[in-house]
Amino acid sequence: MRFDLDLPAWKWPFYVMRHPFEGYDDLRWKKGYNMKVAWVIVIAFFIVSVASAQLTGFLFNKTYVKVFNVIPYFSSSVILFLTWVVGNWSLCTLFDGEGTMKNIFCVSAYALLPYLFSQVIVIIASNFLLRTESGFISFFQYLGMVWSIVLMISAMKTVHQYSIPKTLAAMFFTIVAMAIILFLAVLLLTLFQQVFVFGYSVYTELMYRFSI
Amino acid sequence: MSILKKIAAAALSAVVSLTALSAVASADEPYTGYNYDWWGDPIPSQNGFVVDRVVNGSDMGLDLYDYSDRSKSMQTQLKDLAEPSDIFIDQKFGVFYVVDSKNNRLIITNEDFSPDATSVIEELHYGSEYPEEKSPIKKTTFKNPQGVYVRTDNDGNTLIFVADYDNNRVVMFTPDKEIKMEYVRPSKDVFDEDKTFNPKKVIVDSAFNVYVIVPSVTQGAVQFSEDGRCNGFYGANRVEATAEVIAQSFWKLIYSREQIIAMRRSVAISIANLDIDDEGFIYTVTENKTSDTDVLKKLNPAGTNIFINLGYSDYTYGDYATRYYKGVNYASAITDVDVDSEGNIYLLDFATGRVFQYTDECDLLFIFGTKGFKNSQGTQKGTFRSVSAVETYKGKVYVVDNIKNSITVFRQTEFGAIVQKAIKLFNEGLYDEAKAPWEEVLRRDANYWLAYIGLGNAYLNQNDYGTAMNYFYRTSRAGYNRAFKSFRIEFIRANFTWMLIIVLVIIVGLIVLSYVRKTLSKKKAAKKGGTE
Repeated sequence: MRFDLDLPAWKWPFYVMRHPFEGYDDLRWKKGYNMKVAWVIVIAFFIVSVASAQLTGFLFNKTYVKVFNVIPYFSSSVILFLTWVVGNWSLCTLFDGEGTMKNIFCVSAYALLPYLFSQVIVIIASNFLLRTESGFISFFQYLGMVWSIVLMISAMKTVHQYSIPKTLAAMFFTIVAMAIILFLAVLLLTLFQQVFVFGYSVYTELMYRFSI
Repeated sequence: MSILKKIAAAALSAVVSLTALSAVASADEPYTGYNYDWWGDPIPSQNGFVVDRVVNGSDMGLDLYDYSDRSKSMQTQLKDLAEPSDIFIDQKFGVFYVVDSKNNRLIITNEDFSPDATSVIEELHYGSEYPEEKSPIKKTTFKNPQGVYVRTDNDGNTLIFVADYDNNRVVMFTPDKEIKMEYVRPSKDVFDEDKTFNPKKVIVDSAFNVYVIVPSVTQGAVQFSEDGRCNGFYGANRVEATAEVIAQSFWKLIYSREQIIAMRRSVAISIANLDIDDEGFIYTVTENKTSDTDVLKKLNPAGTNIFINLGYSDYTYGDYATRYYKGVNYASAITDVDVDSEGNIYLLDFATGRVFQYTDECDLLFIFGTKGFKNSQGTQKGTFRSVSAVETYKGKVYVVDNIKNSITVFRQTEFGAIVQKAIKLFNEGLYDEAKAPWEEVLRRDANYWLAYIGLGNAYLNQNDYGTAMNYFYRTSRAGYNRAFKSFRIEFIRANFTWMLIIVLVIIVGLIVLSYVRKTLSKKKAAKKGGTE
């Protein structure tokens, strides 16, 4: 651990990216959490996922671009990330996790950075490469993904002060919790829609009654 | 005033004649031509084929009853077509053979279906080489014949093969109604005793091997040699990898032998129909609504499917998506295949009554024909009730309907002819000559995606890679890849100096920057040291 670090807030994500194992310890020690920087990364995550659908070269693009709808991209990036944070927080507070919601949000966002970089490289390279050279594309894709996952494990371990097996278990059950949250959200939406339809039909019925 | 009136009259007549013209143009087919775009969505297209005429029995002079001649009863008179199930056209002589299944006869006619040229074969007799019990006097008839194939032997004699469904045989005879050979049920060491032997369709290859489709057989077509010996099976379909099949292969690892025997066996779907092209390749189709494995196969003599799309994925034939509309599930069920002399493949869809025309490389060209709605019952020209066979002759397409008891003749439209001409030039490698017809196609139908590929290839051939890429964009990944490869090389060659300069400038800039930073931080440190 380096005690002489004195980084501005925006440099922390890059620092933890380059130091996957001790970077988060330094971050925790120096309290380098910054919500603004984290939000910028999350928004960038959303922009990159849209760009990946729109700007990837024709040879590698598998998106149905005839009808473009931004909502699925929003929900598969920002909403998914928020669900991860909420699910992780609600699970780990029950199991002696030390991280607050803000901490979890920041470290998770910082862990996304290698993935974003690899996606940008992939988008640019896909406009210059041929189909036979697709190995480069998948190499960068996997590299970014694995790096981000390693960072995420490190982040979870440090922010909650867990052992490695407990971290992995917590991450697995976070995914389960995310599924439950999304299920309940969809259920809630449908039920509220039905309540709304019921209320609206009562309203129209009353209007018919009293309009005579 | 009179001038005004004249102008008004002229304008009016112009409008009237224009509307009359458009009325002529719109009094067309009961179906809308469509095609599939890059994403597999159906998009409207111009018709490649329109109805030329609909032929039924009376056109061929088949249901004429001579009331003056009381000596003949109604039964002995020629009857109308009843459930015709197959048609074969001898391309060399222009002779048409129609199987009239319910009347147990074979009708021979010509291109015009004229009564003078139409004759009927109902009875056959055995040739002199047959033994006593099948003496030359002994006659035999068809019983629910289902398929016909005609070819000439090495001496130039015409030989007719009829799949005689309920007589359990394929019979080969001359136009003089003399039986030369019967292909009957093979011995039980080749053919399972429990299975029925009802030949449905028949074709013959250049080596005089006879391929017979028997619906009860799932191992492919039954293959006979010229002398009537069964050689085995040819061109079996694969078993579709459904979830059940995969699960079964898992349970087979665990189960005992008795349990495995008790399991439901998953077998391939039997072949519905086949055809043979001029080069001797055999095409088979499978009629099944739920499976898309091996719908169309082009088999080489070894029985291997060569339409495998370079192993990336299987081609899609018929309509892409299964649609559920008002209680009816619409999915293609390909019941017949025909290959014309140009190599175009025609698939007949029993479920929708449509004919799908493909190039020899499985690119969809045109879709025509339709099934009649419930109230009109396919009475309109170009609609069907139950299609059974498709054949082509001199650019015309003949579709047999076994409930309407008619043969519908489709002719190529001007648009279809232009497309056909372009493809012909394209296949001959004359990409530049094909450019004009392809451009004409796009002028008439800007959604016709094969035209973009053709033009892309034309520009690629002229080394105009940028334009070729524009044409291949969202029409062909393979073409785009090829054009882009050359484009990239050319681009790098043209701009190599600039790129090198830029890279060098960046490298030098980085070195300078790092040097400047180092000296700055040194100064800072020195300053700090100085103040302390």
